[in-house]
Amino acid sequence: MCHRSVGLVQGTVEASGIPTVSVSMRPDVTFGVKVPRAAYVRFPHGNPFGEPNRPDQQHLVFEALLQLLESAEGPTFVELPFRWRRWGKWL
Amino acid sequence: MAHPPIPVEPVDESGLAEKYSAWIGFVEKSHHGSNPRVNDGDAFTPLRTPLAESRVALVTTAGAHLVDQEPFHVETVAGDPTYRLLPDDLDVADLRFTHTHYDTATATEDPNCVFPIDRLHELVDRGRVGSASGVHIGMMGFNPDPSPIQDVLAPRVAGILADAEVDVAIMVPG
Repeated sequence: MCHRSVGLVQGTVEASGIPTVSVSMRPDVTFGVKVPRAAYVRFPHGNPFGEPNRPDQQHLVFEALLQLLESAEGPTFVELPFRWRRWGKWL
Repeated sequence: MAHPPIPVEPVDESGLAEKYSAWIGFVEKSHHGSNPRVNDGDAFTPLRTPLAESRVALVTTAGAHLVDQEPFHVETVAGDPTYRLLPDDLDVADLRFTHTHYDTATATEDPNCVFPIDRLHELVDRGRVGSASGVHIGMMGFNPDPSPIQDVLAPRVAGILADAEVDVAIMVPG
């Protein structure tokens, strides 16, 4: 429901005239709620920017969001090329 | 120096509508008062100000609040459609995450997992973005009834960001 809540706020903020971009770990919910710009990342809930104490990884996600803001010319939903390796399992 | 482009692909949307329908059906069945509200879907505001000149705000539904602020209400299934103002000069050690529908362990260890305030400040220092908003916004995303989110909370958040003269908002779920 975090994804629906953030998506509903995002839609309203965007409609008010402020460009927005969101991270998503639930592409089905983000797709259903309909948001202007979103980046799906295969990380577990609670880790949209990646692992704790990994500023390099967190910066990659942040940079991807900024690039999406710069490149999107209409509603855009992309998947980021990052994978979760902590805990010895891949998502 | 500009960061090289990060290779992204369009999300494979096959099956997402069906998965969403199944999820919303489950939510409506499990929680009294829920309904299937979504956005109109046509809102799109082009980026008008270069990012290097833009003021950036962080908006998260990961349950972020400061230690001296009232925690979000998570003891019932009613949800909590309120917000907490998070000043840009907050002490990261004062951040707390009150949310019972995701594992807050990593966010508690490093708040930047869901609220990348240190990364934002570094991006300002590097000149990648112009400045950080004076205020950011913490919410708690578990809200079975989306109506107060869309009718009350979302317009309030938009107003706070406008008052803070924010050019761009980064939206983060938990």
